[in-house]
Amino acid sequence: MIGKASAALAAMMMLATQAYAADAPSEIKIGTLYASSGRYASISMPVHSAIKLWVDQKNAEGGVYVKAFDKKIPIKLVAYDDQSNTATAATLYNQLVTQDKVDLLVADSGSVLTAPAVTIARDHKMFLFDQTGTGASFFSKDNPYIALMADPVSTIWPKPVADFITHDGPGLGIKKVALLYSTNEFTGTQANAVRKFIKESGAPIEIVYDQGVPTETTNYTVIINNIQAKQPDAVIHLGYAPNDIAFLRNVQDVGVKFKMLFCIYPGLETELLEKNVGAKGLQHVFTYVPPQELEYPVNFGMKMADFRKAWDEKYKDGKIEFGFNSVAGYTTALVIEKTLSVATSLDQMELRKAVFSLSGNLKTLDGTFALDEMGGQIGELTPLGQLELNEHGHIKFVSIYPHETATGKPVYPRP
Amino acid sequence: MLYPLIAGVLFGLYFSLVGIGLNLVFGVMRIVNLAHGDFLMLGAFVAFGIYTAAGLDPLVGVPIAFALFCVAGLLLYWILVPRLQRARDPEMLSFILFFGFSQVIEALTTIVFGTSERSIPSRELANSLSGVRAAIFGGEATNGPFQIFGLSFPASWVVAATVSVIAIGCVYLYLYRTRLGTLTRAVMSRREEAIATGINVDRVSAAAFGIGLGLAAVAGVFAPFMFGSFTPAFGIDATVTSFVVVVLGSLGNPLGTALGGVVYGVSYMLVQTYLSSWADLLPYVLLIAILLLRPSGLLGRRVRVA
Repeated sequence: MIGKASAALAAMMMLATQAYAADAPSEIKIGTLYASSGRYASISMPVHSAIKLWVDQKNAEGGVYVKAFDKKIPIKLVAYDDQSNTATAATLYNQLVTQDKVDLLVADSGSVLTAPAVTIARDHKMFLFDQTGTGASFFSKDNPYIALMADPVSTIWPKPVADFITHDGPGLGIKKVALLYSTNEFTGTQANAVRKFIKESGAPIEIVYDQGVPTETTNYTVIINNIQAKQPDAVIHLGYAPNDIAFLRNVQDVGVKFKMLFCIYPGLETELLEKNVGAKGLQHVFTYVPPQELEYPVNFGMKMADFRKAWDEKYKDGKIEFGFNSVAGYTTALVIEKTLSVATSLDQMELRKAVFSLSGNLKTLDGTFALDEMGGQIGELTPLGQLELNEHGHIKFVSIYPHETATGKPVYPRP
Repeated sequence: MLYPLIAGVLFGLYFSLVGIGLNLVFGVMRIVNLAHGDFLMLGAFVAFGIYTAAGLDPLVGVPIAFALFCVAGLLLYWILVPRLQRARDPEMLSFILFFGFSQVIEALTTIVFGTSERSIPSRELANSLSGVRAAIFGGEATNGPFQIFGLSFPASWVVAATVSVIAIGCVYLYLYRTRLGTLTRAVMSRREEAIATGINVDRVSAAAFGIGLGLAAVAGVFAPFMFGSFTPAFGIDATVTSFVVVVLGSLGNPLGTALGGVVYGVSYMLVQTYLSSWADLLPYVLLIAILLLRPSGLLGRRVRVA
């Protein structure tokens, strides 16, 4: 009797599986945008290229395992070029949702090009895989249709910088801080966070210069002169990669040596910055320490060395730099892969549930994937580091803060 | 206050060079070259190539870029412009044609070179002249910051401003001291009358188009130093700023373009100092202001049309 019941159950399960398989789509459509030109190309193309690398890898293996259909299904990447234009991006996000009817919606890189997707995804009740859009306004309790994949949310990202200045700064002689930022969601939010952390710390730190400049700024000579006039002990510059390149070059050109200078992208896109600013120009600059320098323990996907090897094999021409953003793109892909392997359907709220179930459990080359209740990334943190030259004159990272991850002491003031 | 003023003059003189080629092309042919900034970008690639491939001082790129793009301009003129001039509304059509051309240049450059930022170390510009500088101004033969009234400015800015003044002077001499220049001014002033008097308008226009593109490419040689870095997408912003400089100064007058550039540069530096978040709006505010208050530009003459 038990044998018959078991056989019947097994037959039913087989039938159910066959039904799943019969209903399965021929491909999983992932819709995304990239910027092949314009201001955000240098942060968008590495992210997009990493996703393409993952898609090619998975399709070569027959696709990704989709639990909802209990089988491997090939991926179709539907990707359009927004040319770094937010209006174009808005149109194309709409097209992905309404015309292409993609199964999963993935934002372009950076807060500026993610912003249009946040509203569109919410309006269409599509869950948005936000790759690197860290702007604070994207995440709210009343918007369940978003989660940040790869960068810490901007409200907490600069905490190591602010903590270093408020905890260790007074001992080093840091009393006056200059804050310069590009007026966009990404760096504007980070500037607000720095102000807030410094104010809340109660440390004897005064912000003597606090100015925003348009994100398109390419010339900082006069601004550097104005900052220098305030005689700050530390300068925090928050901008995108082209801003950092122009700022650091101008600092060199006018021969100014700030005692402490923090910039975001020397750490995130080190190859790009070294190519444009030179190793000497980056020496002693404080920045975020990227995952490439930290070797996180991994429980899913390739390790950093393997990913780098795969990247170098696929993108041999070197036109797109390997860096923090390429890691971010691959991390997004891993979250998608893992999500599809646990979601019981492709319903958007089920996808959300699956993504949130990974929080704290998924460990990739980018660190521990952890979300707050609003979908903001609170794992994958980047410590504060300082760039120094090794004996061959090449850039190396020295982790400075928090102390528990520190690999050296800060060089302050800059010689 | 002194720092932004001096920086503004240096920066502005460079922008005069950025705009002067556009001024020539529009003044002579009434063609709106929306690809002007893209030729500037290509000039930047010439300097980049000369430095990275041959290890030469990017300043060597000035005559090379000028010659190269003069020839390219002449060829391009004969391919595009005569057909354009036969259209019912060449000005409007030129908008569309050169916008498309701009897109093609950007796309092709992106395919060949990729999207990443590129630059050249600032100390490499006019490095070969650092000995001359030391002899004139004293100090060591290095290419470090330039001191003006005790204030420190990037040496590359001073080099770019100097080359701009020389280039504007050459354009002035061309227009006012050569026969071809006189004919060019005649075409600028009254195209139909110039045709009626037997001037070979095509030859004059081709020369102006070639020189215009050549000057844009020369300005491009300095772009990596003035803008920190450049990408294939860099042309659009340069075109917009060029328009502002040209309209500010007045069409057809190289001194007007020089003045327009300086006014733009000084205004930009002052806005960066006192209202930095609004610096992006400046080109458009200046454009609207000049069109409302003095449509003929700062050095433009009033024209009575009978």
